[in-house]
Formats: sequence, C-alpha cells, structure tokens
Amino acid sequence: MMKKVLAMLLASAMVVSITACGGNNDDTTAPDAAGEGTEAPAETEDGASDDAAAPTGETYRAALLLNGTLGDKSFYDSANEGLTRLRDELGADVFDFKVEQMGGTAADESKWEPTLLDYCDSGEYDVIIMGTWQMADPLAKAAEQYPDQKFMFFDEQFDFEGNGNPQNIYNILYKQNEVSYLVGAAAAMMTTDETIEGIDPSTKKIGFLGGMDNAVINDFLKGYEQGAKDVDPEMEVVVGWVGDFVDSTKGKDIALGQYQSGVDVGYNVAGNAGLGQIEAAGDTNLYAFGVDSDQASLLPDYAKNIPTSALKNVGNSLYRAINLDLEGKLTYGTTEVLGFAEGGVELVKDAHYEEMLPENIRTTLDELEQKIISGEIVVDTAIER
Amino acid sequence: MLQNLLSPDFFNAILRATTPILFAALASSVASKSGITNMALEGIMLFSALFGVIFSAMSGNWAVGLLLTMAAGGIIGLLLAFFVLNLKTDEILAAIAINLMATGGTVLLMLAVSGDRGSSTSIASQSVPRLVIPLVDRIPFLGQILSGQNGMTYLALLAVAVMHLFLYKTPLGLKIRAVGENKNAAESVGISARKIQYIALILSGVLASMGGFFLSGGYMNMFTKDMSAGKGYIALAASAMGGDTPVGACLVSLLFGAAQALANMMQLTDIPHELIQMVPYLTTLVGLGIYSYAGLKRRQKLAGK
Repeated sequence: MMKKVLAMLLASAMVVSITACGGNNDDTTAPDAAGEGTEAPAETEDGASDDAAAPTGETYRAALLLNGTLGDKSFYDSANEGLTRLRDELGADVFDFKVEQMGGTAADESKWEPTLLDYCDSGEYDVIIMGTWQMADPLAKAAEQYPDQKFMFFDEQFDFEGNGNPQNIYNILYKQNEVSYLVGAAAAMMTTDETIEGIDPSTKKIGFLGGMDNAVINDFLKGYEQGAKDVDPEMEVVVGWVGDFVDSTKGKDIALGQYQSGVDVGYNVAGNAGLGQIEAAGDTNLYAFGVDSDQASLLPDYAKNIPTSALKNVGNSLYRAINLDLEGKLTYGTTEVLGFAEGGVELVKDAHYEEMLPENIRTTLDELEQKIISGEIVVDTAIER
Repeated sequence: MLQNLLSPDFFNAILRATTPILFAALASSVASKSGITNMALEGIMLFSALFGVIFSAMSGNWAVGLLLTMAAGGIIGLLLAFFVLNLKTDEILAAIAINLMATGGTVLLMLAVSGDRGSSTSIASQSVPRLVIPLVDRIPFLGQILSGQNGMTYLALLAVAVMHLFLYKTPLGLKIRAVGENKNAAESVGISARKIQYIALILSGVLASMGGFFLSGGYMNMFTKDMSAGKGYIALAASAMGGDTPVGACLVSLLFGAAQALANMMQLTDIPHELIQMVPYLTTLVGLGIYSYAGLKRRQKLAGK
C-alpha cells in the first residue's frame, strides 16, 4: 500500500514538473472580447498621423508567440511592453494583440510549430510575431504554407534566399555592435579614470566575457573593441570565452583571472554564465557592464559593480514596425537592422548610471551616440549583412 | 603566464574548481563500491544548488541550509535507490529521469519561490564563509593557499579522509564493498544487499548535495539555471579513473580541477580559445589512457608476465 501511494506521488510530481514549467497560459493580456465588440469607427481620437492607421475601419490584430514565457525581464517582456504601449496610444479599436506563451524548455519545443500553424490557420491576425533562432525553422514552414499571412521575426537573421524568398516576413535585427561600441568607450574611459573607486589607472586593460564564439557575440565584441580603441588606441581588450551560456562558475573563474591580471572593467555577453563575471566584479570591487536586460536593477546586490547595461529594445522595434505597417510603409520580405537611429538598441541611462559614471564620461558617450546616429562613426560588424 | 601560474591565485582557482567535482566524485565512488553507478549526480547537484539557496535564505544560516540540503540530497538518493532496487528500473534510465527533472524542476521551483527564471538573485541566501586559519595564514605564499579557502573546500578534503576510513576501516564499509564485489556472495553470509545499497545511495546523495551546495553558496553566491554544467558527469569520470576509491577520486579531481583552472588561466594568453577549451577533456583522455595502461600492465604481471 505504502509503496503504491509513494509511487503515485512520485509519478505525479514528475508530471507536474514536466508540464508545469511549460506554463501555458492562453489569453494573458489582450481583452479579446472588448476588441471585437467595439468595431472600430473610422475616426481615431489620437493625433493626425494615426488617421491613416485603419484604412478599412478594422482592428489591426497581432499575435505575439513567445517560445518562452513573460517574466524573462528581457526580450519577451520588452516585446510585450512595446505592443502594450502601442495599443495604449492607438486604442484597442485600432490595434490589438494577443500573447501566446508557448514555454521555453526542451519539453515545450514540440508545440511551437503546431501552435504557430494554428494561429496561421485561424486567419484572425494581421501579423504573427516571434523571435530567436529557435523559431526560424517553424517560421519558414509556416510562411510557405500560408503565403497570405504576414509575419514579423526578431533577433535572428531569417534566411530568405534559402527558403524561397518568402515575401510575407519582415525580419528585425539589432545593431548590438553599436551599443557595444558605447560600452567599450565607457569601459576604456573608466579604466584610466582614477576618480572612480577601485580603479587602477596604470593598466590599460578592459575585459570581455563571451558565451560561445558565434557571429552575434563577436558582433558585440567588435563594437566593444572599436569603442575602446577609439577612446585610447593603446587599450587592450582581454577576451574570455565560457564555451556555453550556463556555466556561471566557470565564467566567474575566467573573469576573476581577468580582474587579477589588471582588468578593471568587464562586459558580460554570456547569458547566465555572465552572472559569474558580475559576481567576480563584486568579489574584487571592480566593474562589469550588463547586457540584454537592466542588470543593475535586477541584481541589487551587485548594482554598485554594474555601471549600466546594453539593451536590444525589442519593444521599440515592434512598435516602430507595426506603426510603419499601419501606414502601409513596411516592406515585407526584407531584413532591417536597427541601431541607435531607429531606437533598436540603447544604453540604460537612468539615475544609477548618472551616479556611477562621472559627467565627462557621460557627455562623451552622448556625443559618440550622436555621431553613430549621424553616421559620422561607422561601427564594424561581425555579421555579413 | 608563468608568473600567473606561480601565484597563489592560481592554486586557489584549482581548489575552487576541484571542490564540487571532489564531493561528487566521492559520491560516485561510494555508490560504485556498492555496485551501482550513480549517474544522477548531475541532477542531485543541480537540485542541491537551488535547495541550498532556498534553505539558507529561509533559515538565515548557511550551516542550517547545508544540513537541510544534505537531507534533501539524501532523499533524492533514496528516491533513486527506490527506483532501482524496488521498482527494478534501469539505474541509468532512473538517473537520466532525475537529471531531466532537475533541469526543468529547478526552474519551476525557482519561479515559484522567487518569481525569477534565470537566477535566484532576489533570494537573500547565505554563503559559506572563507576560513582563515590563524598563524598558518602568515606563512608566505603557502599561507595564502592553505588558509583562506572556502569552508566547503576544507570539508571536501575532510570528507576524503572520512570516506576512506568509512569504506576501509568500518564493518559497514566492508559490507558495502562486499556487496559491490559480489552481491550473491555477500547475501550468502547474511548481508542484505538491498539494505546496503540503499545506505550507499543515500550517502552518495548526501555527498553530491554538498558539492551542489558549494556551487551556489561559495563558488557563486546565487543559483543560476543549469549551473552544474556537467560537473556531475566529470565527477563520474574522476571517480572511475581513481579506481572508485576516495583517495584516488581526490587525486583525479585535483587533476581535473587543475586542468580547468589552467584552461581558464590560459584564456589570458594569445592561444586560440578553441584549443584551450580542449585542455580539460584532453587531460581526461590522457589520464584515462595512463590509467588503463597501468591496469593492463598490472593484469599482465598477475597473469605471470
């Protein structure tokens, strides 16, 4: 008897742990009923530019398919935030969207493609939005099967040529090299600035911790190096590679080695393994720049070691894309790479940033950012575009 | 480079990298001595890394957190034993189930406790402090290595001695080895093989959980998703190469730890990192080669040259 009960408990515990981490909540944000009920009258309350928004008087509807869940404090939350902002501005009768959280674990992978095809099949959505490399293959299939359905795809290059040039996909990439340029410049200026606590101005070395040696991470590195060298041609960038994106202890050891060899400021582009560099900065009372999400606010214990973070602004890019689409100006079948000029990337500039970096550094960074926007500075890239 | 290699920092890095592998290798050796391969070390370590954060935050005391984590590790070991010994599951399959459950389960649990998915930064956990040994820390150079290590590192070295004495100087240790050597022979003299293997697997779980605890409460000061990153499997190899004895496992763990620390240090040089990433695995291969060659020689000798 005991054994049977125990066995059943075990079995149910396993089932729970496998299914529950999928966390498949259907309607999360969009008040569907409300959106349909108020069939949009042609006139909109907002500014003049929005008038062109709803040519047929129907609501523009988007579906955001996440191969993960909200609450990642990074890309997915940013995407949701951008779409929410757009709906708030235009009104739910002009633009509305629905979020589908498909879950991001290996066990969830099998439902990504069927979910995508279901959404295509429903025909209810003007555009279906998804991102990351893992969705590239399902998307290629869906785009071929449903040539009339429009898609937006962010943060991974879509191989248009290899998939028969589908004309229904709009592909968004981010110029991580541009934002990394600013980080590199900031790091180079910090490491020779004796007014900053803990800095040894005698060594001209800054650190970089990468996850895996791939094109995207190298794009971060290229910009970082160029930014540092433009500030000081003698600046040496010490590069470490974890080899994966999860081994935080290894990341910490590599970063500690860098800090002990005279590096004062680092930049982590290694996913969770990068947290090791932040801890190493904490242990040595030195500095590490954050990436992908505002790590200073996420890691309050280490905020004093994180001057600021480099972000890809997925939300901004979707906001921009849908606005363009509403105006009929978005070209599907192409890839756009968004940098500072389009608001696709940003360096977090909040009160914490102002507290951490002296004014002269901040002024220089603003100038550099303007020069990148104006095209005066062209940042090298590791990605062939 | 040479200067880096001769600095105390490098030796500290070796000990840091060795500690989690050593705990898990000891866990593997006691399980192997009882005749069961405990491949679930990876999962137990990952679970324990999270448990350590949660328990030490709940109790506000790292020692209580460690004890509770060890208990939890023991329970996972018990679970594995129940699957393998009572339900007659294949020991490898049961271990894979536990490892997979750890990958998803830790994220689920972390989400439930802290609302985060990637790391446990919002949980105010306690870490094991560094232990400064008075007087010893004044010895130049050596003092910086012998003293000031994390408490868990000393505990790991202590565990080697304890496990050696346990396996080779106590009746229970003898029974564990007897069951592992020949289950039927042991049962013929009245030893309950199942009971002994239960004990060995629970002990194995406890040891592995200490390694997991160190990952998030000493090495790092937070839990990050999938942070065990294969250390459980490396430990399995370390134990096997060390002949499944505590002392052998310790020496091989030190070798692996040194290889890892060396690889990390070499990243500061201009050597291509693809080659550097190979160093720990190359060390394993070479070590295994030497080990099997020595074994071959010994067998040839025993067979009469």
